[in-house]
Amino acid sequence: MSIFSYNGAAIVAMAGKECVAIGSDLRFGVQMQTITCDTPKVFKIHDKLYLGLSGLLTDAQTLHQKLMFRHNLYKLREERDMKPSTFGHLLSNALYERRFGPYFAAPVVAGLEPDGTPFLCGMDTIGAIETAKDFMITGTSPESLYGMCESMWRPDMGPEELFETVAQCLMSGFDRDALAGWGAVIHVITKDKVISRTLKTRMD
Amino acid sequence: MDTTLPSTSTPVSMGTSIIAVTFDGGVILGADSRTTTGNYIANRVTDKITPLCDNVYTLRSGSASDTQAIAGYVQHFIAQHQAEEGDQITVKTAANLVKMMAYNNKDFLQAGLIVAGFDKHGGGQVYSISLGGTMTATPFAMSGSGSTYIHGFCDKYWREKMSEQDAMEFVTRALRYAMTWDASSGGCIRTVTITAAGAKRQFIQGSQIPPTYGELSREQVVA
Repeated sequence: MSIFSYNGAAIVAMAGKECVAIGSDLRFGVQMQTITCDTPKVFKIHDKLYLGLSGLLTDAQTLHQKLMFRHNLYKLREERDMKPSTFGHLLSNALYERRFGPYFAAPVVAGLEPDGTPFLCGMDTIGAIETAKDFMITGTSPESLYGMCESMWRPDMGPEELFETVAQCLMSGFDRDALAGWGAVIHVITKDKVISRTLKTRMD
Repeated sequence: MDTTLPSTSTPVSMGTSIIAVTFDGGVILGADSRTTTGNYIANRVTDKITPLCDNVYTLRSGSASDTQAIAGYVQHFIAQHQAEEGDQITVKTAANLVKMMAYNNKDFLQAGLIVAGFDKHGGGQVYSISLGGTMTATPFAMSGSGSTYIHGFCDKYWREKMSEQDAMEFVTRALRYAMTWDASSGGCIRTVTITAAGAKRQFIQGSQIPPTYGELSREQVVA
């Protein structure tokens, strides 16, 4: 079995009109055994920046801790939060530093730049960065997630519509994945607040 | 970058939860409905309960193609047997036919089957046939990857001579626990009840399966 499908994850991020949404499933499992159903794979970096990490969960957690550490230092020195685009490149660099012994994690970065424009990017396990204007996904069932997102994404969606779209894409995507699911959490980031919702889904 | 694309080289496996119980007057067979190719759910509404003849059904787990092939051969042998005998086959004989196939071809097959049915001599009976071809007769049996999560539950809650309704509740409860914890089991619950009157199929949609831990109440998950 591939190291990337040892734990299982499904993460979808989408851009709307002056808002972004990012969501993940809640399953934590070891190969085919499910251990808990309350493990989100999306982490907050600051109010306008969220990071989703799929792959081996231990590496996802460690990467998150290392990046929080870097961001805290940045905040102390710069006296402001890091821009999402800067964070994306920081993460890409941090992953490439481990080119020949990588973190087995694939990140998706979603946030709002200081001027309010949505920012989305994704990377592979060694930091090859790719930005997108529409959506970014990662997980153990990328084909299912891509299919759903390509069909359902439209430009200039508002926060409520964006939430619905991400929710449906995520849920229908992970319903065909044996290793992801068991609930979902979705964060919608707008310029004044973040609305986080937990979804009740099939628990199989 | 994940390399588990569904393809013809990855075997289609029914990581599965299957269970059969005897009750006062017959047997109930129950199964989940998920078939996976790697971690892709190839079929989420699979029917794993296959008739061998009118009064004997089998639950299939393991390699989908192997179990389908065995069921096909045994259906043929039973039809032949019944034509020769002029009478309904006994559950034990049907189970023995399945066992012979599994045992004689053990090097090539990956099949775990449960054969259950009703005949007028022995009433409701359940026979479990595991990987190498061992056949065991028990009042209830469960198999498949999901069965490991419900051994304790079944040992505690099974009773002799349950009513049909209690037995159905037992089967559906056991299956939904297995489906919750085993990633390779899920979908909907299919059951077949076999009594003197014949076989009756039932289907419980995923949305109608009552919740287990994790769904009843959960604090807001915060990133």
